[in-house]
Amino acid sequence: MTDHDPRPTPETMAMPIASGNRLSRRRFLRGMAAVGAGGGAAALLAACSSDSGASSAPTAAAATASTQPASPSASAEPTPAPTPESELYVYNYADYIGDDAIPSFEAKYGIKVTYDFFDTYETMTAKISSGNSGYDITFATGVDVPGFLARNLVQPLDHSLIPNLVNLGPEWQDPGYDPGNAHSVPYMWWTTGFGYDTERISEELTSWAALWDERWKGKMAMLDDYRETFAVALIRLGYSVNTIDDAQLDEALALLQAQQPLLRKYTADDIGDLASGDVWLSHAWGADVSQVATELPSATYVIPDEGGIRGSDAMVLLSGAKHPIAANLFINHMLDPQVSADNTNYIYYMGPNEAAKAFIDPEILADPTLNPDKAAIDKLQELLDLGPDLQKYQERWTKLRAGA
Amino acid sequence: MTRGRTRDATLLMPGIAWLVVFFAVPLAIIFVVSLGARDQFGGVVLDDLSLRNYARALEPDFVPTVANSLRYAVLTTVFSIAIAYPIAYWISRYGGRRKTLLLVLVMLPFWTSWVVRTYAWMTILRDNGVVNGILEGAGLIDQPITLLNTDLAVVLGMTYGFLPFAILPLYVSIDRLDPALVAAARDLYASGRAAFWHVTLPLTMPGVIAAALLTFIPAIGDFVTPDILGGAQTTTIAKVIQTLFLSSKDWPFGSALGFLLIVATIAGTVATLRILRREVIG
Repeated sequence: MTDHDPRPTPETMAMPIASGNRLSRRRFLRGMAAVGAGGGAAALLAACSSDSGASSAPTAAAATASTQPASPSASAEPTPAPTPESELYVYNYADYIGDDAIPSFEAKYGIKVTYDFFDTYETMTAKISSGNSGYDITFATGVDVPGFLARNLVQPLDHSLIPNLVNLGPEWQDPGYDPGNAHSVPYMWWTTGFGYDTERISEELTSWAALWDERWKGKMAMLDDYRETFAVALIRLGYSVNTIDDAQLDEALALLQAQQPLLRKYTADDIGDLASGDVWLSHAWGADVSQVATELPSATYVIPDEGGIRGSDAMVLLSGAKHPIAANLFINHMLDPQVSADNTNYIYYMGPNEAAKAFIDPEILADPTLNPDKAAIDKLQELLDLGPDLQKYQERWTKLRAGA
Repeated sequence: MTRGRTRDATLLMPGIAWLVVFFAVPLAIIFVVSLGARDQFGGVVLDDLSLRNYARALEPDFVPTVANSLRYAVLTTVFSIAIAYPIAYWISRYGGRRKTLLLVLVMLPFWTSWVVRTYAWMTILRDNGVVNGILEGAGLIDQPITLLNTDLAVVLGMTYGFLPFAILPLYVSIDRLDPALVAAARDLYASGRAAFWHVTLPLTMPGVIAAALLTFIPAIGDFVTPDILGGAQTTTIAKVIQTLFLSSKDWPFGSALGFLLIVATIAGTVATLRILRREVIG
């Protein structure tokens, strides 16, 4: 297809991508990451105002500014060593972990890990809602942790088994969604902006307005995720992405309804759609676009001038877990600096692990799309837990999707 | 027929039990849930039963998706029968010793997951896909045609998926037709075409109706194909129901829409059968 397109590729626009083809598989359907009971970002400050984008300005900047001294880089072991169960059941997105993380855990403790994937976040929440899913550990969006806790879906962690908690950056030690990490441990964090193929679209795009541009009609996609997609409209309108004001949400709905005829699809697979060339410009997660770039080097990621979204995933221990000791040890293993760095080097998502920085590929650390600087992070808002008012988004999302 | 009615009824017990356990009971559950309300986390609350969700369901918001569903189901049914009839006819008349093999081949796609087969259509239809590659290679087009994420892709995917459901009842119906009747028509100077229109087709109409129902009903409830092969403008009512259950976490409202869809489908099926039976079978 590119053979037929005479337009030049502006080299200056190609973002640096993390090196190599270590990532042989794409994280399929990663796009659904934050769908469901309220996709979105971690509240890093307990005091974050839920209604002001400005005041929810992230402290994750510290994660990138890395002014904090790293904690001990050697992996700490729980003492005295408890006797873990012989099995562990982990439920995660596909391709959301390094390739040696599980084998090294199995070898270390002699625990057999059954590692299953969910295709969408909704599938996972539906399955664990029964309270008897058979899994010990799953990966929840940070802001969903309070909801899971309220429904008794998760149980407290045993911090005596997770000494590696000290490796977390200071801003992750006490996240707003889970004070003191009592019920969850942050795993990876992300940003949401848009990605596009610079070979197809030769001008430099810096604004969300691009996703309403008639010139790319039929070649654009928004994420099939109502919080993220409404956030884009709200950001364009200058409102908080956590607004519960009906008039503002109606305006956002109208803006999205105007956009719908221009879209090719609401995507659950931003990676696949961009990489295949079906979509030239897509609302996307930053690390996903970096994965696209391993196949399609002309793909680039933008955190728009108006700002974007950032969020995190956290590991939780499910209430029905039959292997709690092994689960706590697994979480501890994931916080091992080397393991955590291996994960980031493999999936391109940045973790909250300060001690891991020393082992992360310098190219990833230097990549502003994967590891945005403070100025970029300050433009980002977090999606907060809205409680019952989430319904306002869900109802409008149904209307939007039913509109054609 | 001369045996006692009691014994006949006993034979029906497994079927009735099946119908009750897997249809009547779930339908009743859906109905009860549809009268409830959702709680903060998307659970179902049943302490204040009302018809509010049915009022919401009848809002004009859902007209476009219902229209989409009907359009896809009708087109899928028409295309399926148009394609399936000649295939069934050929297997029945000219299949000879290989009839069984040919019928097994019709069923063969079921050995692969429906979702996987639908994903395969993505590979075929996408901008850099097989179809566009061939057309570009042949010099017929210089820009890819958008095939995936369109109405065409949805109807194509559904027709592909439901075709075996059309072929099998048509085959049974055609195979049962006594060739002597067609021969008699020809003896009476009917052209081949006239014999088909006046003898073969009317006598195989029960098969056509069965094929139409077996295609239309799953097509109207399909959300997988529109989801995978469709795009931003191809939402069906079944997809909306799925969204209500999974994303929007509004089970009561989703149940109300689902209940209406099931009732409408049953009513439509019964009405169609009545009309056709009167007209076709006399």
